[in-house]
Amino acid sequence: MHPLGWAAVVLYAAAEILAIRAMFKPSGQGGAPLLVAVGLGVQFADLYLTARSLGSVPYRTLGGSMALFGWMLGLAYLVLVLRHRERAVGPFLIPFILAFSILAVMLPSYATPATAATRGSLFAFHVTLAILAYAAFALSFVLSLLYLIQNYQIRRGRTGVLFARLPALDVIGRMNRTSVTIGIVVLAVSVCLGVAWARRVWVGLVDAKLLFALITIAVYGAVLWMDRRGWAGPRVALLSIVGFILVLFSYTFVNLYLSQSHVFR
Amino acid sequence: MIEAHDARLVVLGWDFRGANGAVRERVAFTAEEVRDGLRRLLGEGVVAESVIVSTCHRSEIYGLAAGAECGDELARFVSEWRGLDRGVLEQAGFRRFGTEAARHLFRVAAGLDSMAIGESEVLGQVRQALSIARETGSSRAVLHRLFESAVRAGKRVRTETEIAVHPLSVASIAVELADKVFGNLGERTLLLLGSGETGTLFARHALEAGLRDLVIANRTREHAEELAARVNARVIPWESVPLEIATADVVVGTTASPEPVVRRGHVEAAMRQRKGRPMFFLDLAMPPDIDPGVKGLYNVFVYDLDGLQDIATENRRRRAREIPQAEGILEEELERFFGWYGNLSVIPTVTDLKRRLEEIRDGELGRLTAEDRERLRPLADSMVAKLLHEPMRRLKSEADPARKLDRAEAIRHLFDLDRE
Repeated sequence: MHPLGWAAVVLYAAAEILAIRAMFKPSGQGGAPLLVAVGLGVQFADLYLTARSLGSVPYRTLGGSMALFGWMLGLAYLVLVLRHRERAVGPFLIPFILAFSILAVMLPSYATPATAATRGSLFAFHVTLAILAYAAFALSFVLSLLYLIQNYQIRRGRTGVLFARLPALDVIGRMNRTSVTIGIVVLAVSVCLGVAWARRVWVGLVDAKLLFALITIAVYGAVLWMDRRGWAGPRVALLSIVGFILVLFSYTFVNLYLSQSHVFR
Repeated sequence: MIEAHDARLVVLGWDFRGANGAVRERVAFTAEEVRDGLRRLLGEGVVAESVIVSTCHRSEIYGLAAGAECGDELARFVSEWRGLDRGVLEQAGFRRFGTEAARHLFRVAAGLDSMAIGESEVLGQVRQALSIARETGSSRAVLHRLFESAVRAGKRVRTETEIAVHPLSVASIAVELADKVFGNLGERTLLLLGSGETGTLFARHALEAGLRDLVIANRTREHAEELAARVNARVIPWESVPLEIATADVVVGTTASPEPVVRRGHVEAAMRQRKGRPMFFLDLAMPPDIDPGVKGLYNVFVYDLDGLQDIATENRRRRAREIPQAEGILEEELERFFGWYGNLSVIPTVTDLKRRLEEIRDGELGRLTAEDRERLRPLADSMVAKLLHEPMRRLKSEADPARKLDRAEAIRHLFDLDRE
């Protein structure tokens, strides 16, 4: 049971309701960011308790890593709202925070036993940074969806509520570029730390997870390259979405069935 | 729902619906005329308070009567002031009292009574009217509060509903679309093809929307230079348009050219030069200035007049859908105002009634000997207090502002409180 985890889920669900309401009520500042902030505090307490019982950052359970992912997404959402005063991303991003937080409390909390290979700060940094990178890619995914929706509306002259509330294409594009850049850099550092750790604890380097991480970096690298080479716009948004599908595949299927050293069952 | 008809509050007005151009012209007031009119209205004792709202589409005189009613007096005043036949004035205008007058003002401030529903200019004009009235000392407790409430209601309607979100003019829609592509238009370049009436109007609108870099190209360079001088723009030679397109983010066609000025090849080359950065074309010309083939290019947005007019029609519908919600907000604010107004009216009634009963008491006691007077005074005081207590308690605790006003009015009538 995760009473604190469930409390965070309730707070995120309430935040989503408020975020949707704020989109349709021009004056509604919406308490969504505040509720997400409280939810993050509560979820952090849950993560802390799990970490204490496990004796490490809670990445040795699938639920724990999902909770970490959701938590970092929430953090990314708050950064966006505070830095860009951009509430329009809320209704689209909060469902992801919510979904991962629900998975975190529903999935079995069986932890893979701590071994020499999964202890130590280098390893903790490797995993935490990887999850942060995936959160940045999730953000890029949401922004790309928003880009495509707004692009469609502008082209069709659909100037309704969503059109009015969503940011300009240029703004979404820049936010996406920032998210992808952060994701690539953080994932690259995480991969380097993982390789260094693997060499130290003598774990084999040949692993499907590593291969998918490199493919992910290549795909998002292509996103940035296209962005500079005249394909900025819907094509970049579409490739960012493809990149995130790859991330999801890597995070779930590869972790569960293909990887030898990244198993969270 | 408030149903009070307090005849003290009146509005006499002429707007685009009832009054023709000739009448509207005669009752259109400059700021100086408004000041003069307000001073005379108070000076001649026509009203106790007054505010005049004068815009392109309406002229309205709000008054609070010193006595029971002032509608006829106001109409006579305007007729004399503007030198217009009273019958013509009355026929072309409208007159509303009490709650209806207040509701009308709230609707005006909210833009519900405007030609373009939800337009925001009128809110500033209502605020300006109050400011002039304050300056001349013609708005006191009641009209000041009424206009402040109307401004608050207008603001609420615009922030709590979608009534002012969707633009209605072709130029505003085009600017909004471009804004949603580029974000900040202040950092973008607009190339205007043609410097005729449409071009001039659009240039002005774009500059008002925050655009800083405006470039004009026209077959007759002198015309372009004339407009450029008026709107602080640059002029480029007509022949260089195909090459200059790449430097512009927004291109607006307004020429009378029989052939498209911007061809697909020009835009393809421009997009290569711009490394795919988006371009926005607005074709306000007939026949078109922008080659229809441009529309299919990647990251290029093209709009013509028909498309923008369709959006305007849809936006008009969207605004109309917000009216019931806006009216709900106005009713809330009206209720708040009349709640306050009701209390205001009750206080003098309570004071006057108390004074009247005390006069009667003193009159009766005055007929007694000094000794009897001293003996019976406590009894008389107690009777006055007890007689006053229940009616006053009921009057003050009445929740319905309209009923409260009616009851206060009834007390004033029954006890003849308005007698000099």
